[in-house]
Amino acid sequence: MNARPLMRLRLTTAATLEVGSTPHGMLSVFPITGGSFDGERLRGLVLGGADWVTAAGDGTFELDLRLTLETDDGALIHMTFSGVRDDANHYFRTLPRFETAAPNYAFLNRLLAVGIGEVHPDGPVHTIEEIL
Amino acid sequence: MNTRLLMTLRVTVAAPQTIGAVPHGTRRTVPITGGAFEGPRLRGTVLPDGSADWLLLRADGVLELDLRATLRTDEGGLISMRSFGLRHGPPDVIAALARGEAVDPAAYYFRTTPRFETAHPACAFLNHLITVATGDRRAEGPIYTIHELL
Repeated sequence: MNARPLMRLRLTTAATLEVGSTPHGMLSVFPITGGSFDGERLRGLVLGGADWVTAAGDGTFELDLRLTLETDDGALIHMTFSGVRDDANHYFRTLPRFETAAPNYAFLNRLLAVGIGEVHPDGPVHTIEEIL
Repeated sequence: MNTRLLMTLRVTVAAPQTIGAVPHGTRRTVPITGGAFEGPRLRGTVLPDGSADWLLLRADGVLELDLRATLRTDEGGLISMRSFGLRHGPPDVIAALARGEAVDPAAYYFRTTPRFETAHPACAFLNHLITVATGDRRAEGPIYTIHELL
């Protein structure tokens, strides 16, 4: 597979909300309070959102994130991802998708991407690449 | 991005059901009539019942794909596969595909992100894999080369 860097996304989070045991597993909500993103073709700030995390019961977590990005030239981008986090195997991978109405960033509407996540003390960092 | 081959999946399709103009675009459903998959760790067939690709042609010319298929391994394990994808390209290339002509898959963008669910112990590793696929749209049905994201 060929890919090229899209952005590095750094998120800051607030205290986790433990929703508890639901029909699909233990659900936690990780509120995203801000952050930044930076790449060759786009950069800016994270306006906020959250990641809905369900523990699968076998030590892995299913991720379901939604947030809003604002580029340094004022465009808003709706971003979502689904993903998997398996700390025992150091596997933290996501499938980001983007939607925007800004013509300068319309290329985001037309691509699929993958992300590699890392847990840092000040919040998660996602290295996102466009699938070519 | 480090990946390794998971499988090559060939599906055969029947005539599309054109739902037509819906609020988000033009919707078409393509029934899957069968197929086969093969990779270093698993191989088997595609079950036709309930397998299809739900397509939505957006106003910006991008085709969204939402494939759901049931796979059966040669050991008898059932795997539920869902994949979201995008297909787009130059108008003449897309028109040639629509006419069923053979087109070099490098001439258009056809990528999907399959996820798998299974209860079969031998295939349990699939439950937590993030994968990406490149598609090659043939007249008889698409061929997906699916790579596991390492």
